[in-house]
Amino acid sequence: MEVFEAIKNRRSIRQYKSDPVDDKTVEKVLEAAHWAPSWGNQQCWRFVVVRDSKIKSAIADTLNKVTIDNELVENAAASSVRQAPILIVFCAEKSKAGYSIDGTPQNDKGEYWYMFDIALAVQNLTLAAHALGLGTVIVGGFNIAKVEKILDVPGGCTVVTMTPLGVPDHKGQVSPRKQLSEVIIKDKFS
Amino acid sequence: MELFEAIKGRRSIRRYKTDPVDDKQIESILDAGRWAPSWANTQCWRFIVIRDAKIKSQLAETMMAVKLPDREIPNPALNAMKTAPVVIVVCAQTGIAGVKHSTSGTNLEYATDKGDWFMFDTALAIENMLLAAYGQGLGTVIIGAFDAPRAEKVLNIPKGCRIVAFFPVGVPEGPGKAPPRKELSELVIKDKFS
Repeated sequence: MEVFEAIKNRRSIRQYKSDPVDDKTVEKVLEAAHWAPSWGNQQCWRFVVVRDSKIKSAIADTLNKVTIDNELVENAAASSVRQAPILIVFCAEKSKAGYSIDGTPQNDKGEYWYMFDIALAVQNLTLAAHALGLGTVIVGGFNIAKVEKILDVPGGCTVVTMTPLGVPDHKGQVSPRKQLSEVIIKDKFS
Repeated sequence: MELFEAIKGRRSIRRYKTDPVDDKQIESILDAGRWAPSWANTQCWRFIVIRDAKIKSQLAETMMAVKLPDREIPNPALNAMKTAPVVIVVCAQTGIAGVKHSTSGTNLEYATDKGDWFMFDTALAIENMLLAAYGQGLGTVIIGAFDAPRAEKVLNIPKGCRIVAFFPVGVPEGPGKAPPRKELSELVIKDKFS
């Protein structure tokens, strides 16, 4: 698939078929993620590939509930995590991205540069999945401490985000984007 | 260009020709950025397109030296800021991404222990832009090590907005090098850490 086509037609997918996704396909999307650039080539990302349905379901339970009509209901992404055959959890090795060689954070973003590097990899993965006919949805609202416990994430690592990976059961909606003119500034703010 | 070719072939380019890059090419790069997903579709990103040579050079002056074990060297992308005809600065409006639904202003609450998600969302947009540039034969390199408060002064960044990163856009002087990647097996964990 052509680059721009992938970028413009990728959608966040919240309903999945239970069709299987083979290991080779999973490897392809992880490879795409791994080709992202990173701070000082630190590659702070770690990918947990969850196929075990018990673990997936335990993680789905940690997603933040949302309030609709004054009622707390399950996040739509929770059922996607259960439906899709695979859940990819992105972890970051801390104190790498954003750090200089002497072990101190280099700029005002401090330690949070891992959020940036993980996102570069995540975006490659969502595009690669789309080009292979698979859906993803980036999930950020969940209880990180609980997920770290479920996955036995070692100290020095933190969970950042996750996405189900599977065959879409709907087309996905276009979320309206701001006009380019609303987000572009020429040379400097006046 | 085919997507996987773009993902695998893109390199960080630190040497550029002075060849011009037209507005249409820049616009298609920015458009790719705009199509990235974002926290609850909040689109906190703002893109500054700098062509003014003086402003480019003032921004370059805010770049930090690279610490090596025995000495400091200027950032290897320093010259790129002058030779490349365009620099795109990515800013973020803070207090939007990662924020709990229906909280804002003084009762603003973040949804996760990561606080503001502006670093994450702007990076999604940046990755799209790098691929879109490469897909048109243009080079880029992300610069993150700079004195942000000083750069924010140079560009008159308004309150509530922060500069995240910037990158030159131009015709590469030559092919870039692929820094060695870890093996996938070093990075992939099955089901859970053991």
